Order: sequence, then C-alpha cells, then structure tokens
Amino acid sequence: MNVRQGVTAARGAGVDTGAVSADLESIIDAAVSEIGSILLGKEPQIRLALCCLFARGHLLIEDLPGMGKTTLSHALGAVFGLDWKRVQFTSDLMPADILGVSVYDARDASFNFHPGPVFTQLLLADEINRATPRTQSALLEAMAEGQVTVEGATRALPQPFFVIATQNPVHQSGTYPLPESQLDRFLMRLELGYPHPKAEREMYLRRHSAAQEITTPRRCIDDSQLEAIRAAVSAVHASDTLLDYLQRLVAYTRQSPEFEVGLSPRGALALLDCAKTWAVMQNRGHVVPEDVQMVLPSVASHRLVPSGDYAGDGDALVDLLLRSVDVVAP
Amino acid sequence: MSSLVEQVPRNALVWIIASMFALLAPHALRIPVWVLLVYIVAVVWRIQVHRGRWSFPGRVVKVVLTLSGFFGVMASYGSVIGLEPTVALLLIAFALKLVELVKRKDAYVLLFLGYFVCITEFLFSQDLLVTLYSIFTVVLVTTALVALHQPGQQRFSGSSLRLAGVMLLQALPLMIVIFFLFPRFGPLWTVPIKSHTAKTGMSDFMKPGDVASLSQSDEVAFRVKFAGEIPPASELYWRGLVFSRLRQGVWSSLGYYEVPAGEMRPREVATNGEGVGYSVIMEPTQQNWLYSLQYAVSGTAGVMHTPDYRLYSPGPIESEYMYRARSWPRSVVEPELSEWRRKTELKLPPLGNDGARSLAQRIRADVDSQQAFVDAVLSYFSNEPFHYTLKPGRLTSSDQIDEFLFDSRRGFCEHYASAFVFMSRSVGIPARVVAGYQGGEINPVNKTVIVHQFDAHAWAEVWLEGRGWVRVDPTSAVAPSRIEWGLEEALASEGTFLADAPLSPLRYRKLPLLNQLRLRYDALTYQWQSWVVGFNREAQFELLHELFGEISARVFITLFIGSWVLVLTPVAISLLRRKSTREINPLDKHYLLFCERMSEIGLARETGETPDQYYARVREEVPEKAEQVERITGLYNELAYAGPGRAERSLAEFISAVSSFKPDRRRF
Repeated sequence: MNVRQGVTAARGAGVDTGAVSADLESIIDAAVSEIGSILLGKEPQIRLALCCLFARGHLLIEDLPGMGKTTLSHALGAVFGLDWKRVQFTSDLMPADILGVSVYDARDASFNFHPGPVFTQLLLADEINRATPRTQSALLEAMAEGQVTVEGATRALPQPFFVIATQNPVHQSGTYPLPESQLDRFLMRLELGYPHPKAEREMYLRRHSAAQEITTPRRCIDDSQLEAIRAAVSAVHASDTLLDYLQRLVAYTRQSPEFEVGLSPRGALALLDCAKTWAVMQNRGHVVPEDVQMVLPSVASHRLVPSGDYAGDGDALVDLLLRSVDVVAP
Repeated sequence: MSSLVEQVPRNALVWIIASMFALLAPHALRIPVWVLLVYIVAVVWRIQVHRGRWSFPGRVVKVVLTLSGFFGVMASYGSVIGLEPTVALLLIAFALKLVELVKRKDAYVLLFLGYFVCITEFLFSQDLLVTLYSIFTVVLVTTALVALHQPGQQRFSGSSLRLAGVMLLQALPLMIVIFFLFPRFGPLWTVPIKSHTAKTGMSDFMKPGDVASLSQSDEVAFRVKFAGEIPPASELYWRGLVFSRLRQGVWSSLGYYEVPAGEMRPREVATNGEGVGYSVIMEPTQQNWLYSLQYAVSGTAGVMHTPDYRLYSPGPIESEYMYRARSWPRSVVEPELSEWRRKTELKLPPLGNDGARSLAQRIRADVDSQQAFVDAVLSYFSNEPFHYTLKPGRLTSSDQIDEFLFDSRRGFCEHYASAFVFMSRSVGIPARVVAGYQGGEINPVNKTVIVHQFDAHAWAEVWLEGRGWVRVDPTSAVAPSRIEWGLEEALASEGTFLADAPLSPLRYRKLPLLNQLRLRYDALTYQWQSWVVGFNREAQFELLHELFGEISARVFITLFIGSWVLVLTPVAISLLRRKSTREINPLDKHYLLFCERMSEIGLARETGETPDQYYARVREEVPEKAEQVERITGLYNELAYAGPGRAERSLAEFISAVSSFKPDRRRF
C-alpha cells in the first residue's frame, strides 16, 4: 500500500522517463563497467548483483569453485567503497569467530568486547556452506535486523550492512546446506556460470599483461549516491495491473501442486523491491512485467522447493512459474 | 537446463498398489502361484523406485521380463490361447506395467487396464458376490485415478476415496440407463472360452459310480420357479439325458447323427389342460442339455426339442442361462413306437450278464403282462436284501449287472436303473435309462426350487402298450425316502451325505439361523440371476415393448439418446452455473481481444509473454502490422503500468485502436 503513496515525489509529470536522474544512470553504468572490467562477460549478473545491493538486500552467489564468485564479491565491495571484511567459512569456524568475543582485561578487571568481523559494512562470507549450521545461524540476526546479540548485549551494526556470501553447489562434498530460514534472508541468489568463449579468450589474453595489474576497481558510488538511488527506488510506481500479476505469481507458487512451499510474504516483498530497483536501473519510473520476470529467477529460485511428487530444482520451478502465469489477467 | 520431472504421487501409488492386489485377489486361485510372486516382486520394486533406492528397469530387463512372463504362461497352461492363459497374460502384463510406471500418463494406462482386468472376472462368474466385489475394485481403481489428480499430499488420506465414491454415485443414473437401453449385441467373435475348466453336471454317458460321485457336490445345478403350485417332490423328475445304448457296461445317449432323419423331430403329444409352467435358471455346465419335467415344451428362443422329449441348447451353457418351459406330466408320450425306435430301445449286447437275463425270463414267465413284470421286478428289489448306498464299492467283473444283482447288492440309483432297464429289454420291453435330477430344496423365502448336484439321479422309462413311455424308478422300491425326502434322509443312517464337504452350509440345515441366512442369500441370487444376469436381448426387447409399444430402430435410438440427455442435463446445468462471472476491466478485456484477433492469424500470445515481448515477436513475423501493434502495445503499457495520468483519454484511444485493428487473414 505504501508503494503507491510514495510515487508522487520523484515522478513528477513525466510518465515514461525522467524519473531517475541522468546522473544516477551514468553512475550505475560506470559501476557496471568497472566491475565488468574485472569479471568479463557477466554483465547481467553484475547488474542483478547491483540491483540486490541497491535494494538493501544480502546476496548469495552460488557456483562451482573458480567461477569468479569471490572476484565479484570483492569488486562489489570496492565499487561501493564500503568498509569490508572477509571471513573464510570452514567447518571448524565458531560463532564467536564472526560475532566477536569478550576478553578479560586484567588492568580494568573487566571483560572487554572485541568485535568480530561482522562489525563492518560489507561482510564477505566465503564458502558459507562449509561452516556448520550453528555458525551459519550466527549470521541470522545480523542479516535480518542489522544487529548482533553477544553475551546478552545487543550491538548495532554499522549502516549500510550487507552480506555477500558465496557457496558451492549443495551436492558438493563437505557442505552443510543452508536451511530455508537462512536462504530466505538472502534477497537474491546468483549463479555465474561459465564465461562466454569470447570473454574467456579476452581473459587469456590479459593474463600476464599490464591490464592484469588492475585488480581492484575504483569506487563509483558514494553514500549520498546510494541514498539517491534508494530514494528513486521508493518513488517507483507499481500499477494495479502489475501488482495483480505479481500476486498471481505468488499465488501460483502457493496453490500449484508442483511447489512444496510457496513464496513467503517476505519473498513477495523481495520480488517487488527487486523489480522496482530493476526499473530504476532501466531508468524507468514505473515497473513493467519484464522487470519482474528479469529478477524473478534470482529472487525466487532459492526460496522454492519442488514437492515430493516432482523431481527438479528451484530454477525449474521458476521456469514453470513464468510459463504458467499470464501477464494479462485471463 | 534443469527441468521439472513429474513423479507419480505417493498417495496415488498406494491406491494403485491396493487396487492391483484387489484386482488380483479373485483370480488368485485360478492362476499359477508364480504369478502371485510376480506381483509381489513388481510392487516391492516399484516402492523401492519411489523411495529412490532402486531404478526403473532398463530395456533389456523389460524384454526379458515380458518374454519370461509369456513363456511362463505357455509352460503353465501348455498354450496361450483360451480364456485362462489369456487372463493370466493380462494379469502379468498388469503387474509388469507397474515397474515402468514413471509418469502420470503411465499411471493412466495402468488404471484403465485395471478396469479391463476387473471385467475379466465376469468371464468366470457372474455371481452376486463377484459383482459386489467388482464394485469394490472399481471404487479402488477410481480412487487411484482421483489420487493421481491430488498430488502434493504428504500424508495418506481418504479424501480421494470420498471423491471417487461421490463420482461413482453420480455415474449411477447413467449406468442404469445404459443397462436397460444399451443395445445388446451378440458376440462379435468367439474365442475358445474356458478350455481349461471341467464340464460340470451330467455327462452324456454313464457308468456305475458316475451319479454317486456327482452326489458329493453341494453346488447348485439350477433353480426353478413355478408359475403355480410346486408339485410334490416325488413328481420332480428333471430329465436331462436319455441313455438308449449299452456298450461294454457303459450307458450312453445317441448322437445327433445316429438318429435317422425321419426320427429327428419329436412326435406330437396330445396334451390337455394348462399344464405346469415354470422357468429355470441354470448354472453354467459347458454342456448342451437342459432339464425339464416330462412332457415339456419350451417357448424360449433357441431351445430345441429332441426326439426323446428333452430340451436341448445348440450351444453349450457357458454362463447362467434362463429358459421357460411348460409340462404336462399326465400326458401319454409316444403311444405308437416306430420300428427303429423299438429296435433301439430293445438292443442289448449279445453276450454277458446271463444271470440277469435268466432272472428276467423267470420273472416274466410267472406274470402275464408287461406291467406286472415291472411291478414284479420292483418288488424283487424291495424284497431281496438290496442296499441303497453312496459307497457301493467297485464292481470288478465284466458282467457288472450280474455282480450287482447277485453278489454285492449294494448300489446307487444308476445301478438299479441300469439293472432294471437291462432286465426289461431282455424280455422284450422297450426301456431306457434317464438321467437328471430328482426333487430339490424348496426355498420358502421366494418359493423357488433349488436343485443341487447331489440331487443327481438316474431312473428308467419303459414303453408299455397304450400308455407310451412310463417312468419307473427302481430306487424308490429300495429307498422310498430318497424320492420323498431327498438324499440326505435316504443316507441318514449311513452318514455319507456331503461327507467330503464339512463346511458346506447345506450340512447345517438343522441350525435355523444359518439355514435362514443361506436361503435368503439363495433367494437374492435368484433375483440377481433373473433380473440382472438374465436381462438379455430378448428380455430387453420385451421390456421396451411393454413400456413403449412397437420398437423400431428409430424409437430405440430416440430412447437411447433421450435418456442420456435426460440424465446429463442436470450435470450440464450445474456445470454452467458454476462458471465464474468475474468482471474483467475494459483495459485488459480489449487487450485480450487484440490478442485473440492476432491468434486468428496464427500469432497467439503465449502464456507469460509480456506485451513488449509479444510485440517484438509480431514485428518479426508481420512487419506490415508492426506500426499498429506498436501503438496498441505502447498504449496498453502506458495505461496498465505507468500509473494515473492522462488515463481517460488514452483508454478511449486504446479501445478505438483495438477496435479498428484487423489482422490480414489472407496472409495465412
């Protein structure tokens, strides 16, 4: 409901264009090209990752080892110029290793809290599914509420706070699959996939050349610009027709027998947020069905589980969803 | 690309397996034991597949399984032709289909096959219980079908069963209409049905011990309903076979072609009065002869009359068969005997049984008429220490009649009938053995006479000058209670009645409750047979004729279609009423109208395709329409997604753009 109320401020008289300033568009393009210079041929994924962060969501990148997960996450952190820390998750990692621990200080005769790596703006959680569920859960509160509670004291995290986690495919050995509750806290899950042959060739050519030296992209988006983008997102208009479509999609996941569980309201809101952000990134003041369809696989595939009568995965379910729900009310 | 593979729902699988075993159960005693094993293996296999432990069989395994099933049937039955082997093959195929049940489509095939398997049970029996059981299996199979459409239920539930029950109840009116009105065609082709089942009841030859062994069975031979009073038990001689020829100790009936052409038709018999009308429902015998009282005429189509005054069916009785007959017990049958007939009914083997011959000569010499001879022989049987028994012992000599008359003196009805006819023939009196049933149990519930196999009997007929064929029952001279009270009374002292069937309900006739239940069920069976099983083409025609007068093809078709309309109209009405009348906004309505027009030229918008994607596709396919379509799409996008603005004007513009849009049909 607040969606429609928020429209007026930024949109003004123009309907089609002009909702987002040309500045923001060039900023976003700059960020994309900056990351794209390191991670070659992955522009759609880069845009989706940016979309996720613009929508204040946490990002999960899943793929085989060596596909550029960590590269992407580092580049994202650099582009936003955020204070970032990296934690390599292993099976013996303890919650205290992330959250921090109180250490007895003999001089003060008191316990002093030593904050863990979670106290940062951008936490890169590498190979998150190699840690035990207990450690994975330590991130729950941080991700959902932007605070952590250690030894009874609740401490706020710096703002903005993002988690970019990478994980290996679940079926690889030595992994603890993330529980649904944890997955649901990631706004998007991205798969990178093998690079396009052309991009890969480019990669080979750059090896041992001068260009290789540029490993860290420069900062493109400062805090005020990030705020401006977020303001633009909240100003984006989602029409009744579009919300109908979105609701039909969500309803289908809840009613159709192929789905074990449907999209939660949090999942539905995530879909709307991402679609709006995507609209902003397309320099549009309103959401069109293409926006929803574009972000749907990343937003929904990790939240959907096929029911026991079907074999398949979340991606297959998203495929089915897109094929089965009509854009125009039937 | 990952894809979604549909499995057969767990719930449905449970119902499918349950219905498979339910379908197998009635066949279980007929089929080889290894078929049961096939079922168990198939079910275990499929369950393991469902649990993800095993995998579906490969092509080679499937071929091997199919071939071994085929050759297994071949080995067990010696052939794959005939009813039993065919049904066994079907049952094996049914089981093997389970292990290649991958998708919902496969489950459909399996379940529709299940309905067919259910029908095959009726080829063996059309009993009331079998029918009730089949209803049960149909409910199970239908439940499995319903469960296929209710996926996603993690727990096993009865909701499918409820829905299936409701659906079958809804189908009931249609079933009744079809039962009464569906044209009953004759068989379109014939298969050697039941080549492996034994023929039951009397056979067309008789040697000592045959009737006695038949008397061990408590199965029902036929049921009779009289139009009027039931005649006394001593009058109920159900003639089935006439044995005119004695050869090597075996009595047999004359074959059809052994009767000269002039003797093929029975002679006219003068009848007076109404006679006794009755209808008979026979259990299947796989034989041709029908049972009737002397002298009987049947009006039922297809029943033939033989020259020895019996009723005969040209085809063997393979299922319950109903016929009507009318008898005149007091009439004089065949007062004039033809030369051929006299010779036939006097013929004896030239040699053997000299004792019997000389005994007959002695008795004949003492009396002065043929009638007196008959009486004297009967009193010989009753005065001498002859014994009526189910266990007469084996007659071992070649002169069996002599051995019986002078040595053992223990016999069942066929011994007495055979000896009597032999003696009569040896003194020149035409005589023959008649086999059939005698008496029957009167069911007080519905006033039918139930004739069991143990009522099987053999007696004699002698031809006397002026009186025609006269029935003589030598057994009545030895054991009068057999005729008056039935076999059980006659054997009371011996205790051999149904000695081999300790569980037969007939042995417990003394227990009133059990007996009452048995008789009530028998009455129900009679109703079932006469109304449902016996509702054949003639009965159908009769009924329709009674209700609607002259039945022509046109009337029949009108009735048939009319009744369907009558039954299906309420269904149609309720379906139409259920259709939602949701209002659709004018914007979407007109856009959909536009899509519809596009689909007329073969460019339908796909489900999930956005207007812009659609436009892009149309632009590729029909470039000359691109401008119009672009305008419509642009207007729709603006109105649908861009929010409030100049909406009113644009909507009118959009509607007129859609209205004026006409795809060029000629192009396709």
